[in-house]
Amino acid sequence: MAASAARTHFREELARLEAQALGALDLVVSTLDRTLEALHHRDIELASIVIQDDDRIDGRYLEVHQGILSLLALQAPVASDLRVVAALLHVIKNAERMGDQCVNIAKVLPITGFEPPSDEQMLRTVERMGKLARSEVSQAKQAFQLRDVPLAEDLVRQDAEINRLNRECFQRAVAIGTDADRREWAMTMMLVARALERIGDNAVDVGEQVAFVVTGLFREFSDASHR
Amino acid sequence: MSTEPGEVREEERTRPTVATPSPLRTPEAPRAAAHVQSHARTVVLEGLHAYYGDTHAVRGVSITFAANEVTAMIGPSGCGKSTVVRCINRMHEEIPGARTEGRILLDDKDIHAKDVDVVSVRRVIGMVFQKPNPFPTMSIYDNVAAGLRLSGQRGNFKERVEQSLVGAGLWEEVKDRLGAPGIGLSGGQQQRLCIARTIAVEPEVVIMDEPASALDPISTLKIEELVQELKKRFTIIIVTHNMQQAARVADKTAFMLSGELIEFGPTDKLFTNPDKKETEDYVTGKFG
Repeated sequence: MAASAARTHFREELARLEAQALGALDLVVSTLDRTLEALHHRDIELASIVIQDDDRIDGRYLEVHQGILSLLALQAPVASDLRVVAALLHVIKNAERMGDQCVNIAKVLPITGFEPPSDEQMLRTVERMGKLARSEVSQAKQAFQLRDVPLAEDLVRQDAEINRLNRECFQRAVAIGTDADRREWAMTMMLVARALERIGDNAVDVGEQVAFVVTGLFREFSDASHR
Repeated sequence: MSTEPGEVREEERTRPTVATPSPLRTPEAPRAAAHVQSHARTVVLEGLHAYYGDTHAVRGVSITFAANEVTAMIGPSGCGKSTVVRCINRMHEEIPGARTEGRILLDDKDIHAKDVDVVSVRRVIGMVFQKPNPFPTMSIYDNVAAGLRLSGQRGNFKERVEQSLVGAGLWEEVKDRLGAPGIGLSGGQQQRLCIARTIAVEPEVVIMDEPASALDPISTLKIEELVQELKKRFTIIIVTHNMQQAARVADKTAFMLSGELIEFGPTDKLFTNPDKKETEDYVTGKFG
């Protein structure tokens, strides 16, 4: 069974699109790093760079989306190739959403001001969520690259921890006291926590696509309505 | 054969639409004229082997072609898919040194049974070939009527010719020039003329061996749309090299390789999540 020369171009193109889509997850990781740094140092300037830089992820989304449309129109992929193409559409959409969540965080940071009346415990919880979200995005990318279903399924475990920390943040915000400034800060941190929690969900969605590519069956790792 | 051919003939003579009886027709099935009446029968292959002399071209293929469904046969050149369909209408045995083993059942009747006449098999199992082959000296009308005349029918075929041309999606294009030579039509029209000729004798199964491979995309599309109409009346088996064509027209797809049936199932399953690695490799173009 000689390899078909006619499909060499198609294989290269599909591999290129996958690299581009997974590369978008790398962009998300570096954007998330900046976002978390801006959060930690209350660096408004860095937050504005995060907002501006989101164009790169949006641009990547358009590029991959167009590439996939062309591939579908010109090469009519089938079987596992078709599943990869369909999954890449999800991956790139999730990457774009994760980029938007970073922007959401970056936009609320200036509201807190330079030296807000923060709460160390809540801040630590949010930062812990950020680290977990970053690790989830990285792991989702690796699982897709390796077509590693157990690694993808492990995302649920990490995501459960993010969800738990999100609830913890909420409880802390409720109990933060009567000072209006502190309450405003806590509400802002809740928005940050919510955005990080959503990034975790997006990473799990990417993991579900790994299972779809490998097995041909789509299933939710965990019921989203109970996340 | 569970029924004596003579008995079937008696039954058939009472039906005005079929002048020449076929031992393969089942008497229980009424064949009176109706709008989209289905004549379709199930074709079952049981352990079919086919040989060209010492060459073992088809190796133990068992498959069921369901009535009123389109089944596509795909596979690389030389995989045996055309040989399988040629066995179904008993054309394979015409080649010197060629023989078959196993059973081919039309519903429950073995088409290779000793008392089955090969001509009657070909009447109920029509075939459309890769290259349109209208009779070159005949008019459009006579091309369609030829099948009826060859099957021993007599009389005025005007209505049947019109019905067949309508059924083949050609009527509107040729109704004003039925006396013109069939050979003067375009390639796509000629192929539809051949389909009209095939369906004029009201077969039960229509086999199409690469019916659109010599046609332009628009003509191909017309044939593919026609196949969807024809399946309401017949069992359709289509051999194709064009996997997208199989994906577009077939309810089920069979993938053959080196004379063996590798995988058979719903077309969407075969093209999105095939069970066998060989199928995956073929449909994704890794070989073939």
